[in-house]
Amino acid sequence: MDQLTLTIVFLLVLLLLLGTGVWVGLALMGVAYIGMELFTSRPAGDAMITVIWTSSSSWTLTALPLFIWMGEILYRTRLSEDMFRGLSPWLAPLPGGLLHTNVVGCTIFAAVSGSSAATLTTVGKMSIPELRRRGYPEFMTIGTLAGAATLGLMIPPSLTLIVYGVTINESITQLFMAGVIPGLVLAAMFMLYIVAWYYLRPGARPPAEPGLTTAEKLWNSRYLIPVICLVLLVIGSMYLGWATATEAAAFGVLGALALAAAQGSLSRATFMASLLGATRTSAMIALILMGAAFLSLSMGFTGLPRSLANFIADLELSPFALIAALTIFYIIIGCFLDGISSVVLTMAVVEPMIRQAGIDVIWFGIFIVVVVEMAQITPPIGFNLFVMQGMTQHEIGYIARTALPMFLIMVLMVVVLTVFPELATWLPETLRNRPG
Amino acid sequence: MLGRTVPPCSTPTAPNKARRPRTRAGAARPFPMASALQTVRRLLDGLYALAGAVAALSLLAILGIIVAQMVARWIGAVIPGATNYAGYCMASGSFFALAYALNHGAHIRVSLLLSRLGRFSRYGEIWCYAVAAVTATLFARYALKATYWSEFLGDVSQGQDATPIWLPQIAMSIGTVLLAIALWDHLIRLIFTDHPGVQVPEIGEARD
Repeated sequence: MDQLTLTIVFLLVLLLLLGTGVWVGLALMGVAYIGMELFTSRPAGDAMITVIWTSSSSWTLTALPLFIWMGEILYRTRLSEDMFRGLSPWLAPLPGGLLHTNVVGCTIFAAVSGSSAATLTTVGKMSIPELRRRGYPEFMTIGTLAGAATLGLMIPPSLTLIVYGVTINESITQLFMAGVIPGLVLAAMFMLYIVAWYYLRPGARPPAEPGLTTAEKLWNSRYLIPVICLVLLVIGSMYLGWATATEAAAFGVLGALALAAAQGSLSRATFMASLLGATRTSAMIALILMGAAFLSLSMGFTGLPRSLANFIADLELSPFALIAALTIFYIIIGCFLDGISSVVLTMAVVEPMIRQAGIDVIWFGIFIVVVVEMAQITPPIGFNLFVMQGMTQHEIGYIARTALPMFLIMVLMVVVLTVFPELATWLPETLRNRPG
Repeated sequence: MLGRTVPPCSTPTAPNKARRPRTRAGAARPFPMASALQTVRRLLDGLYALAGAVAALSLLAILGIIVAQMVARWIGAVIPGATNYAGYCMASGSFFALAYALNHGAHIRVSLLLSRLGRFSRYGEIWCYAVAAVTATLFARYALKATYWSEFLGDVSQGQDATPIWLPQIAMSIGTVLLAIALWDHLIRLIFTDHPGVQVPEIGEARD
């Protein structure tokens, strides 16, 4: 068999294993093993263990379980109630009213947790019943929440960005910094959508909230302010260069434990539950990373990444056309795979391609996160849709329709990000160029 | 992606219901056989849970090492090789938890097709567990081999810690062997009992 046939066989086996439901990490590992056997005379098993051991005992990766744990701790506090109670008096006067609590709540929780499912459940637990009670249209409540929860992937700490950084060997701190501004811009765009709805559909406006004095507002958000301080501490310590991403994560865990203790929600049971939850989630991601590390070694031997990169170079696409093509590619992949899996699975092939095209890899990290965010709210298997279905009992199709405007906003975000790459690159660059 | 439509656990029919181990996902289906099998069942479930606990301790150790390193830096001291030790704890946390995470339905898979198979879904599950078990066995075999050779050749970490590398690699050996055992365990139960495979928790865990 020639190289091309072998490559096709290789890719088909990959699709077969993933498609039939073999666990992603093990599927990648199995395919990589077959690839090694097909394409090289190197001993596959020994190469596998060398690569896997190196990748899974790396110092960079230690930020992952700690950030997961931080989110797990805060997820188990009374943060949901505090979030709604603390935010609503400040946001009620805005056009669109309490719908903004969905977006702002998600933005804040995204900054303590790297997961969009946790963001969705934490914010939604309180805001869905409260917004319903006040007569906000269901379509807007569900849609803005499903969309805004995806911010969990972009605003640091982001699990997807850690995984991306580890996969392509780039600084996690740089990637986190790159995510801050685009995350806030995206949140602002979601809020503009709510404002636009307010003015375009005056008939659907619920009655206004009673006004509160500043003192009352502050009193209502007394539990929320420490969380915001924790966020500023974690992100600030990385920005000011006091701490590496891992050290900031350790700060975050300690701070989250202190907050939970101060709130009285830190019992032995919640402590164990958060620790074991973090253990499971990080083992899940670790298994995918192990498979991906071996797959990218094996993929290298197929010659596929290099020939694809050359092929793209020969096409002489403009960077815009390349980005447009990749956007569509990732949206399709995202229909079937979760964010982390689609990042690790494709990077072996895509990395040489973007480096060849001269695209900044830090910028590309943010791009890929936006595209993966879209996948969270597209059927058939957008993850947020499932979580939302579990919470509201609506049909997937209905939830997907409510989230469609948010999907379009994210498409717009990709355009904005492509036209103004500085959104993502400016903050990491100032960080890099700072003396000391 | 999530196996949300996997058929619910069938009700156990054996009289020994009370003696079943408590583990949620890896709960034993009734084995209408001698108590020897139940001992094995309890032993295995205990092992998976124990490994999960060791993994959780590794996470705590990562936190401890990093905090110690920061404190040391503030008082102007250096802990040699701290980053390497944190890395070993990372590996130990990941490998020891592999089987535990599997039994709790934490590992991600594409269950789009599986959930459409209807009454044939059992065969789909058997296929998945078989492929996974074979892969995990290969994984475990080479992990054992690598650990053995690291010890035999006296490989030492390149970092400041100069740890004999086989020591942290023991975690890889045990973890991968347990993962392989857990997968064979599920596969055998799928084939010979009405065990439906690992159940995914209702609302997804905090994950991306």
